[in-house]
Amino acid sequence: MTTEIRKQRQLKYIDTNGFGAAQGGRGYHFPVDFAVRKDGLIFVLSRSGQGSLAGTGISVTDIDHNWHGEFSGYGTGDGEMQWGTAIAIDSSDRLFLADEKMQRITIFDSENNYVSHWGTAGSGPNEFDGPSGLAFDANGNLLVVDHKNHRIQRYTVDGEYIDSFGSEGSAKGQFNYPWGITTASDGRIYVADWRNDRIQRFEEDGVFIDAHGESGDGDGQFNRPSSVAVDDDGFIYVADWQNQRVQVFDKDWNFQTIVLGEAGLSPWAADYINANKDEKIAREVFNPYPKLDVDEPYEVSARTEPYFWVPVAVTTYGDDRLLVLETARHRFQIFEIV
Amino acid sequence: MATATNIGTELDLIAHLLRRTGFGSTPGELEEAGELGYEGTLDQLFNPGDADPLPVDLIRRYHADHNDLRIPPSSGSFWMYRLVTTKTPFEEKIALFWHRVFATGQTKVIQGKVMISQIDMFRKYGLGSFRELLIQLSKDPAMILWLDNQDNHKDNINENYGREILELFAMGVGNYTEDDVKECARAFTGWTIANMPYMSTKMRNNTLRPYGYIAWQFEYDESDHDDGEKTFLGETGNFTGEDVIDIICKNPATPQFIARHLYHHFVADELPVPQWPFEGPKDPEAIQLMVDAYFANDYSIGAMLRAMFESDIFKSETKRFARIKSPAEVVVGTLRLAGDFDWPTDDVYKATAACNYMGQQLLGPTSVEGWMGGDDWISTGSMVQRINFASDTIGDPDKRGVKAIVSRIADRHPSGNVEPEALVEDCLGLVGRLRVEDGTLNGLLAFVREQGDVDPSTEDGAGKITSLLQLIVSTREYQLA
Repeated sequence: MTTEIRKQRQLKYIDTNGFGAAQGGRGYHFPVDFAVRKDGLIFVLSRSGQGSLAGTGISVTDIDHNWHGEFSGYGTGDGEMQWGTAIAIDSSDRLFLADEKMQRITIFDSENNYVSHWGTAGSGPNEFDGPSGLAFDANGNLLVVDHKNHRIQRYTVDGEYIDSFGSEGSAKGQFNYPWGITTASDGRIYVADWRNDRIQRFEEDGVFIDAHGESGDGDGQFNRPSSVAVDDDGFIYVADWQNQRVQVFDKDWNFQTIVLGEAGLSPWAADYINANKDEKIAREVFNPYPKLDVDEPYEVSARTEPYFWVPVAVTTYGDDRLLVLETARHRFQIFEIV
Repeated sequence: MATATNIGTELDLIAHLLRRTGFGSTPGELEEAGELGYEGTLDQLFNPGDADPLPVDLIRRYHADHNDLRIPPSSGSFWMYRLVTTKTPFEEKIALFWHRVFATGQTKVIQGKVMISQIDMFRKYGLGSFRELLIQLSKDPAMILWLDNQDNHKDNINENYGREILELFAMGVGNYTEDDVKECARAFTGWTIANMPYMSTKMRNNTLRPYGYIAWQFEYDESDHDDGEKTFLGETGNFTGEDVIDIICKNPATPQFIARHLYHHFVADELPVPQWPFEGPKDPEAIQLMVDAYFANDYSIGAMLRAMFESDIFKSETKRFARIKSPAEVVVGTLRLAGDFDWPTDDVYKATAACNYMGQQLLGPTSVEGWMGGDDWISTGSMVQRINFASDTIGDPDKRGVKAIVSRIADRHPSGNVEPEALVEDCLGLVGRLRVEDGTLNGLLAFVREQGDVDPSTEDGAGKITSLLQLIVSTREYQLA
């Protein structure tokens, strides 16, 4: 661990965790969010999709690819979900799950057992219309991105409403279908203001500080940013969802770098390939970077397996790792922060 | 046939055009087209603005499975959103047309992503030069694997694509020889996809493991192309695939064949395609009109259709309601009328499934010959599906489109109560100027009279109008375009 404040950030690819698991089991199916617990366990929320809802649930893994099982699943009962959007873990290792279809927040204990849930549909205080991003503020209260109400609501960990900030629009402090949210170590709150193509920064009480970004595909521009992470030195990592990339900025929004992903076979993926001789043989002559006749990022990523395809969430791991979760490739890539 | 609306007006003619070039018309669409007039509407159809469908970012945020479009419910419903919400339905009608003629099925190619890319290609090239369209088709990864052209090698040809481009896609049986098929196949050797061994293995294994599907990329493998001399349709040379397409496109049989398909899809039901070698077209004059436009306009499909739509043949009374709607036309037309899918919803899967139940799985034609159309669409089971879907869809007075119809009727009758004859005429007009037979008309009138007074400004009146709309979309005549 270093105590030196690093002035610049680059990301160096080191590993891939994941595997497509449409029916559940070791792997993920259309994952949309993940969270790291303080003991290093990584929880991955698979939203799954029509035709294979058995893949819905929360999987547990670690940085060394060990598989620790899965819990929850598709349904409307206690502890189940329909359209899961986000997870966050509090200081007591309780996991909070947002479901934008059932308009509720569900709590699981540290053993992954269902505890309780709350939530009412609506647009008034303490009502939800599409809870999506989740994070805990500096005081341990839960921040809920109430995205179709274009605001952030704050709750105690027991589900008691505290306050909210934001409204619909594109002015400072307003939102247009916000998605991901995170809290930095200094207590500041960062929100991926999805359809405004920017990241907004707030004081811990919700007072607007600044915003960065505009629509586009250049450096510092965004196309529907879905998630943001901040490391202990204040460097900012953004999942630039529709540009199929991750951008890095310093705390003053100075552009640092862009990564597109360079996934290799995870151990789970390698197990599968090795067990299927026909695919193994075919893969021996596989060129992961074929010459393409398209340049639209979605199409490029669809045809280039190592690239991010729908990078939906980013999170730091320890003080020198960044994890990037990809919905359409059922995996997350691990980068060293250098 | 009796008329409940004023059949003879230009608006009726425009409604006819919008049924064929789109999925019928909402009251607002018909009103706008009426202001443009028939010719102005045609101009707009051939020079469309932004399709402005439900944005893809919204769709993909809510439907995680629409990010990779891998399985049929995902890819089919992704297209369904566009069909229902586009402002340029003619583009979709063209895409459906080529999807039917160049029938490619997800049942074999497995991944829906490449099927959606093929539909995008039809949308982009479908009204342009037939030569360019055939080149794009021959390079289309879904088509290549659908007809095994990845297995068509210079030392060991696979005739599948070479045969079908002649038989099913461009010329029809009787206009080429078996030797032409072989020579055609030779010309397309080397037209393959990148990473063919791995991609075809994954297609065969049909699994998302390890990281989902990788969309296919066309690749020309020069080392596997047979560049030797070929004799094709009477010409000899070291033909490439493009050369063969040139020869196909200038052959008189080609526009004859395509024109008959266009007639079948846009003008009136024809005989099923397998009968075409034995039975001539129903309307040779219409076919010739389009053939002439093809040669006069660099093989332009758009020119063929424009010539057709401007002709008295198309405008004639005998061509009105002369086609049985395809399931897609029933489903999409009714959803557009009801004003559905303003926002992502699981109902899109139900709509896509309903289309399947009626006999048309989007992106999944039953065979390489596509859907036959015409009477083939109708069976006891499919008819029940059609009626139930249309009736259920239009039966919600809170839907935007239903509200708009009720509101227009209320505006027309500010005094309140609407006479049964006027109400039926209004409703038939507002669902796209539908015309019905006497028996149907009398049934609709009897239904309205049974319900008692209808004041469209009240909730009770809105409910009664909604019930009448349900009955109208359940009629035999609603199945016709």
